[in-house]
Amino acid sequence: MKKEDLLSPGISACVGCIVESSLRLALKVLGRNTVLAIPPGCMGGTGVVGWENTMGTKIPVFFPLFPNTASMLSGIAAAYEYQGKKINVVGFVGDGGTADIGLQALSGAVERNSDIIYICYDNEGYMNTGMQRSSTTSYGAWTSTTPLGKKGKGKTQNRKDMAMIMAAHDMPYVATASPAFPLDYTKKIEKAMKLKPSYIHILNPCLTGWKYPSEKAIEVAKLSVQSCAWPLYEIENGTLKITHKPGKIRPIKEYVETQGRFKHLTEEEIEEYQNDVNRKWIRLLNLEKIPA
Amino acid sequence: MAKTTIEVLNGNRAASYGVILSKPHVIAAYPITPQTPLIEYIAQAIADGELDAKSLEVESEHSAMSALEGASLAGARTFTATSSQGLAYMYEPVYRASTLRLPIVMNIANREMDSPQTLWCGHSDSVGVRSAGWIQFYAENNQEILDTTIQAFKIAESKEVLLPVMVCYDGFFLSHSSEPVEIPNQSDVDSFLPPYQPNQAILDPEHPMAIDPLTPSSLLTSYRYKQVKAMEASKEVIKNINKEYYNKFGRNYHGLIEAYKCEDAEAILVTTGSMTGTARYIVDKFRLEGNRLGLIKLRVLSPFPAEELVKHTSQAKAIGVIDRHVQFYSGTGTAYLELKSALYDHESQPIVIAFIAGLGGAEIGIKELQQAAKTTLNASKKNEKPKENIWLNLQGGSK
Repeated sequence: MKKEDLLSPGISACVGCIVESSLRLALKVLGRNTVLAIPPGCMGGTGVVGWENTMGTKIPVFFPLFPNTASMLSGIAAAYEYQGKKINVVGFVGDGGTADIGLQALSGAVERNSDIIYICYDNEGYMNTGMQRSSTTSYGAWTSTTPLGKKGKGKTQNRKDMAMIMAAHDMPYVATASPAFPLDYTKKIEKAMKLKPSYIHILNPCLTGWKYPSEKAIEVAKLSVQSCAWPLYEIENGTLKITHKPGKIRPIKEYVETQGRFKHLTEEEIEEYQNDVNRKWIRLLNLEKIPA
Repeated sequence: MAKTTIEVLNGNRAASYGVILSKPHVIAAYPITPQTPLIEYIAQAIADGELDAKSLEVESEHSAMSALEGASLAGARTFTATSSQGLAYMYEPVYRASTLRLPIVMNIANREMDSPQTLWCGHSDSVGVRSAGWIQFYAENNQEILDTTIQAFKIAESKEVLLPVMVCYDGFFLSHSSEPVEIPNQSDVDSFLPPYQPNQAILDPEHPMAIDPLTPSSLLTSYRYKQVKAMEASKEVIKNINKEYYNKFGRNYHGLIEAYKCEDAEAILVTTGSMTGTARYIVDKFRLEGNRLGLIKLRVLSPFPAEELVKHTSQAKAIGVIDRHVQFYSGTGTAYLELKSALYDHESQPIVIAFIAGLGGAEIGIKELQQAAKTTLNASKKNEKPKENIWLNLQGGSK
């Protein structure tokens, strides 16, 4: 891809962070005619909006409040609509700002059919503030607020399925993505630019929170898809299509074993995780057969 | 001045005319009693093609203010309205509107804060967010709501100011009560309020800009200082725009405060909002009986018109400040505290009495204002301050 890099080379993300590359790639597709919201979270903290008198991007960029990315975007889109301007109005938001504190504003903005593109970079927790659990943290995972101990066994609840929640809004375009499948991701961004409001949920492994060596990010991301823990699909005007079907599905055990946050899981717990993944994968295969 | 019409309007309807005549581009609002009819009137005006604006029927007040901040950053003139709990729920983006220096206008149909559950008037909602950096007007009647709403856009958008403005009016007492209101002509309003020309932080791909990068304390401190200076500068702007409005439309609200029969007054009542009309009547009545009573109506609580108040009260021996809210930390209202603070730096040291009244829709009528007037006059004659703050509606009296 030869498109222009619109993100500063000096972003201070963790060494090996692939959220930064997911954003860089997204901006290459979105181009200069874009306004970008980066709320509090890893990308805000690493200086994507900027520091003092410098800015982190070559496009207009701003810090929304934690809960209001989508409502601010919907106001921007309304103003541009009034002015007759066609500009990509984009949010790049973590899982906390999306699935937890920002969910109401996002649901409202999409229900109002706002002309916005919303990308959730999900690293399964509040990684910027030191790895607290969020509603998208996987079952069983250690986080700093679901610690291990005499009674603590990691997170005891399932993760919130944001893509399906957004699909239930009957919106034009919903997709899941992975940094290990960049062409799948960029194609989805291209579609998201045409079919608005649009929502892309990209599962971004986090080396510090998930506890794996920094060079393993793509490997972990790839395993999340190949094990069907994170299936890649899109829902275009109500029609679901799985965009990558693993030739050989890898056992969830392989995915789990790449990450320190799961190392306390027992064989039985891993088996439970496998059963849950199987159940959801079969459901997805069935959903693909249903006409819109 | 072109031809105007006079109609019998409730406060919300009068406010809607002020909004429609000001031609905002984006409106985002969430319904709450007693503000609701205002947003219905505006929605109808958009549906009828009388107002060309994008309307966002948002899912919360937090999103209403957030959407307007986005729209304002994209260069739109914006408006919303709310009351009580809605304003409290909105607090996070309310604070941000002023610190981003966005000229958003918001009407507040004042309603007491819960608990207990209440729907009726009180100023605890807007007074509670007074620290958030907005200019705050309090209207006396429905005509003033309409006129101040138009003025609010011009004040907010003045380049010396660039601060958001609240136009507060008493829930039910004004929002749902009707009186004759003169509706200005659109062409007159257009010449008074030119189209919005945004020239501060703007989201525009042609001119990329970062809004709110992580900011070190040195820069942040200078932003705060400039915002305080802008709030100070707004005093002159409010006075000038009042004059300009008076010259164009013939109605004078005297800028920051209105002093009524204060020149020789020994005792002065200080009021905010709809209680002022009755207080005027009480002053006239007491004057006929030979009492030197005056009245000051506070038109703004933020910026606080300290100098103007001191100027008009310097000859008085006692001042009775009637607040339609109580601050739990002081047991008094805010106007009382601010006035006392303003007087401390001056030679005149009149007695200042705190009256608490009108909470949760309680009446501030002839009886209550008579009591306030008598108490303040007595204090001026005896040169003695009542031992307690006085609650005008408290059953069984204050003990």
